[in-house]
Amino acid sequence: MSANVSMRDALYEAPGPKTLQRVRIGTAISIVALIAFIAFVIRQFYINDQLNPKYWSFFARWTTWRFLLKGLMGTVKVALTAGIIAMIMGLLLMLGRISPNKPLSVACHVITDLFRSLPSLLLIYFFFLVIPKYGIRMPAFWMITLPVGLAASGVLAEVFRAGVNAVPKGQVEAAMSLGMTHGKITRKIVLPQALKIVIPSLVSQLVVVVKDTTVAYVVSYPDLMQNARVLISNYDALVSMYFVVAIIYIAINYATNQFSIYLAHREGTQILSRVDENPV
Amino acid sequence: MGVGEVFAQFGDMYLKSLLSTWLMTAVCFAGGLALGIVATVMRVSPLKPLRVAGDVYVQLFRNIPTVSLLVIFVYALPYLGATLSYRTCLLCCVILVVSSFASENFMSGINAIGVGQIEAARSIGLSFVQIIRLIVIPQSLRTTVLPMTNLLIATLLTTAMGSQVPLTPPELTGMVNYVNSRSVAGISAFVVSAICYAGTSVVLGFLGNKLDEKVRILR
Repeated sequence: MSANVSMRDALYEAPGPKTLQRVRIGTAISIVALIAFIAFVIRQFYINDQLNPKYWSFFARWTTWRFLLKGLMGTVKVALTAGIIAMIMGLLLMLGRISPNKPLSVACHVITDLFRSLPSLLLIYFFFLVIPKYGIRMPAFWMITLPVGLAASGVLAEVFRAGVNAVPKGQVEAAMSLGMTHGKITRKIVLPQALKIVIPSLVSQLVVVVKDTTVAYVVSYPDLMQNARVLISNYDALVSMYFVVAIIYIAINYATNQFSIYLAHREGTQILSRVDENPV
Repeated sequence: MGVGEVFAQFGDMYLKSLLSTWLMTAVCFAGGLALGIVATVMRVSPLKPLRVAGDVYVQLFRNIPTVSLLVIFVYALPYLGATLSYRTCLLCCVILVVSSFASENFMSGINAIGVGQIEAARSIGLSFVQIIRLIVIPQSLRTTVLPMTNLLIATLLTTAMGSQVPLTPPELTGMVNYVNSRSVAGISAFVVSAICYAGTSVVLGFLGNKLDEKVRILR
């Protein structure tokens, strides 16, 4: 965010006394407007009786949090497993794509683009509705991790490829002139450096995975969202619960994002996301 | 049941759901861009409270899972005195999420311009409005073509959330559910929806690349 500030400020000349006066008035008006907005939201809660302690008091009980934490552990388990699946699949797809074997390369290219252009929900329905029709039974855990992992693998394949492309060409040429094979160059020269470059991007991709796992209730896997739904029917407190859960998700994803920014800063690399790549 | 039979029985529905998905994508992307511009103006304004509010807005909606936002719109808002139709809820959610990412794209487009250019513009006597109109907006629009294309495709994929609320006609992901609950379509229903999504993405990506080649700034 510090990078933004410099450009933000650069847009304006150093303010004179008149401008300063106007900025002060504008600041005051905008503060009033923001407070009015927040007051309106709180008032909506109040006049609809949603601030009633009966909707909030159970958050003081440890059992509530224990159940939510259990759901959160489910979310973490699903997200990490899906993340690992995505990393392995993404790496394999990328290695296939850069291999000198033409048919393999084309196949991996097509699969990568396919996974990138399908919504994870469609893949979840595929594992939830379609596969059982062919007599294959799998636990809810895999019905959510596999599709989420596959959906992310397409994006990760592109992230890995960007990492590989970031390794200077001269090194590959030098290795070739030493007579190293393609496999050996990839293994010893390119991959170790490429992996280091993409670590922050992998972390930031976890946010997408966590978001995708929130539909785990479709396959009735007990993640945070699903457990929150159970608590809602127990306590009959829908509004407060959905808001608290949303805040938990936002906090997790915000922390993950900040961590990846910190890693990128430390390594001196950039975060590659879906936004930076070439579209399909 | 083969793909042909699925088409024979549900062809009309598929066409409607494809058009509905396209329409929702277009509406959400346009709305997201508009709201994203508002958020970006707030974030680069000289007023500190607006900057903070813009930053908070973007962080909130880029980090919230769309489903979490959708359940708040569909189930919680009626308790707070605002009952919206399912489609309106969906559109609002996707627009809010898309706008935060659009604003991030605009911000990185603005940041890519470089302080030196602004200083140069000021030194030849351009006013603030002129700097924004002649230097900042054209360049940031040109550098954001590719990220915005990706955002458009992401918007298309996010409309799949529509399968979580009852819509008539259902959108492409909801169709898989719809067809599977009415017949033993098996894999065919999935394949048809997948082709629609992938086809749309390929076309959008191709157009975005072409536009980007035309307007890209070589630095």
